[in-house]
Amino acid sequence: METRVGIAGADAARHQPDAGGKYLTFALGGEEYGLPVLKVREIIKAMDITHVPQVPGHVRGVINLRGRVIPVIDLRLKFGFMAQENTDHTCIIVVDVVHLGMIGVVVDSVSEVLNISGSDIDQAPDFGDHVTTDYILGLAKVKSSVKILLDLDRVLGAEAPVMVESF
Amino acid sequence: MTGREMYGSDREQAERMLDRIQTAADEGMPLDDVRIALFDLSAAIDRESDLAPIADRISVLASALGPDSIHEVIEMVRALVAGPVAPAEAPAEPEVPDDVAAYAADQELGAMFVAEGLDHLATIESTILQLETSPDDVKLLNDVFRPFHTVKGNAGVLGLMSIQEVAHKLETLLDRVRSGTHAMGPAEVDVVLKGVDLLTLMIRELPARAAGHVGTDVTRRRADLLDVVTALIEGGPSPAVYEPAAVAPAVAAPGAAAPKVDRRDDNQSTVKVNTRKLDALLDMVGELVIAQSILAEDPVLVRSRDERLNDRLAQLKRITSELQRNAMAMRMVPIRQTFQKMARLVRDMSRQSDKPISLVLSGEETELDRKVVEHLTDPLMHMIRNCIDHGIEPAAVRAETGKPITAELRLSAFHQAGSIVVVIGDDGAGLNTDKIRAVAIQRGLIAEDAALSPDAIHQLIFHAGFSTADRVTEISGRGVGMDVVRRNVEALRGRIDIQTAAGRGTTFTIRLPLTLAIVDGLVLRVGAERFVIPTFAVRESLRPTAEQVHALQGRARMVRVREKLIPLLHLGEAFGIPDACPRILEATVVIIEDADRLLALVVDELIGKYEVVIKSLGDAFGNVRGVAGGAILGDGRIGLILDAGGLLALSGAGVDAVGTAA
Repeated sequence: METRVGIAGADAARHQPDAGGKYLTFALGGEEYGLPVLKVREIIKAMDITHVPQVPGHVRGVINLRGRVIPVIDLRLKFGFMAQENTDHTCIIVVDVVHLGMIGVVVDSVSEVLNISGSDIDQAPDFGDHVTTDYILGLAKVKSSVKILLDLDRVLGAEAPVMVESF
Repeated sequence: MTGREMYGSDREQAERMLDRIQTAADEGMPLDDVRIALFDLSAAIDRESDLAPIADRISVLASALGPDSIHEVIEMVRALVAGPVAPAEAPAEPEVPDDVAAYAADQELGAMFVAEGLDHLATIESTILQLETSPDDVKLLNDVFRPFHTVKGNAGVLGLMSIQEVAHKLETLLDRVRSGTHAMGPAEVDVVLKGVDLLTLMIRELPARAAGHVGTDVTRRRADLLDVVTALIEGGPSPAVYEPAAVAPAVAAPGAAAPKVDRRDDNQSTVKVNTRKLDALLDMVGELVIAQSILAEDPVLVRSRDERLNDRLAQLKRITSELQRNAMAMRMVPIRQTFQKMARLVRDMSRQSDKPISLVLSGEETELDRKVVEHLTDPLMHMIRNCIDHGIEPAAVRAETGKPITAELRLSAFHQAGSIVVVIGDDGAGLNTDKIRAVAIQRGLIAEDAALSPDAIHQLIFHAGFSTADRVTEISGRGVGMDVVRRNVEALRGRIDIQTAAGRGTTFTIRLPLTLAIVDGLVLRVGAERFVIPTFAVRESLRPTAEQVHALQGRARMVRVREKLIPLLHLGEAFGIPDACPRILEATVVIIEDADRLLALVVDELIGKYEVVIKSLGDAFGNVRGVAGGAILGDGRIGLILDAGGLLALSGAGVDAVGTAA
């Protein structure tokens, strides 16, 4: 079952497939992703987003979450998919990110919460320079599909102080 | 009435109350009610009796009460009530006992002790300074004594013996003063202040040391302090440092009971709340106000002719705005604490520089936004240092010029026309216009032949890198100076002015907004986005005519307003807003101002003037140039708040408001 492939990044311990637990799965550009449920604060319907200047394209702007101003990231753009108009299924998943606090993440649609056992999770294989696997917790095999489990602290946390492009 | 009897009856009464609480808890009394009952118990204990430290300890335990710890806590309280109070005499330890282990044993209670202890020490510090000026005020003396007693008691209960010993020693000294066998002189005040500093340091470092950090080594300081106190206690009044200890009347006849002071006044009428919880509450109130206004403006309701419905909506509106007013008031705190810090600073500096100074405080009750208070402390300290260092003359000089030897420093605060005014005034030498001018020329700030009014010259002290100190003292004159003060004040959206008269003194006037949470703003629309520009930054707005707009290299770059050419910044272009109106002649121009520079913003339209609540965009965004934050607008969406200074920097242009066009 163990597939020992090259491990991307020096921090190998984080990628050990011991990440069993509950995951919220969602669709993005035809792929299935998962987030640890403990990170998810709530799921809201897509709403008007206020544009903020001087930020990278995948930062959509800010929304008002019951009196709090929180940033919203478009995961499609972050992962290099084509931009897409909002549909009825478009959702914002509000997550708690280390050092940044609450952040909204726009996804195509939310699927379900799955209980994934650690033995069903593999490390992400090393694709060389083409694909960054740093922020992948692991690949979960659920029935016939594969869900990409994300480490959002890494997806979003890494860019923390530089979310604003320098002039 | 002897202390022993009081002690006994108090204890029995406390035990009876505790029994009742336990029975009620067994019968399923809600957690909050148990907590309140414990607080009542704590309040019922006579504050002047030997049980007083237990009372504080009980309220600590009550605060820590959790759903699973009711019985545990009641048992602990019972043990407290039954058991001996903190030891009367501190154990004779050969070396500094290890408080850290005791703190680590119960971190939750420890953390509460730290928070309360620091509070008590702050009270002692400010009270002892008042006591110095009126040494025969029994109430003040008690107000110093009691917190020491509480710190000592709590430290003892937690097993923080090293802290307890220091507090106990000082308490003993104060007790002598209270009983009239020892006089309160400057040496006593000094040692109490030093003790407060030491205890503050020891208590503040407890959590860090428990977490494994190496703290400050206070062994020596602690031993020295204890020696000094012992010497004072044994040797009677020590030689006074300042003035003969002639005025040191016995405070109260020995044995006479000190008048009781109702400490519930200041303690029980306030509640400590985590600021995060408070901010969350304010956020929700803001949301409620918006939800209410959305509801009130709903077309269905607006068209409704139902009188009862309209009445109910009006009632909702009244309650909502009352709630908002109250919530905003919760952010306000009196400036007293900041002023008291200054009192300590003035005392220390006065002794250090050998300039007798009397500090006159007024308006300590004036309330202002918690955040403003926090950010006001540093600039105030700096200005007071400057006043004492540069403004107030040495005593000898004052004597020569026929001024009273003791200089007067006035610190006052008051409300005026919707702002807070803080005034710092001294009766010193006043600003030296010639010297400031000379330094400014030397530093290249002004030309040698510049024709400047005295006022304009005085303003130069706010320039970066300006410092006229003849010598660099320990206290000021390090090159950071009034420019930092001015920047700090401006960051609070405030303003600072100087009035000075040679030989008669200098007065600095700081004007600040009441709150940082709300700003009066002009709401603008650009494309589908809306922005808020604070009204204080707006000079005027206009619909430009073709003659007013001047192109540079084929593009509209400047607008001419009354003989002044002002550079244009097209907000839609600068911020990359796709559907912004591209034609300037169909747009509106808003002239904004920052630090005497002007810029003309091109926007689609003005929506109106509103009061908005300022929200930070959060840590996720670094510093977005031209944007100061976000505001939640009437429809619940966010509009970005523009920052005039940032926009000027962004445009790389701007024109001097007083000079000629660029």
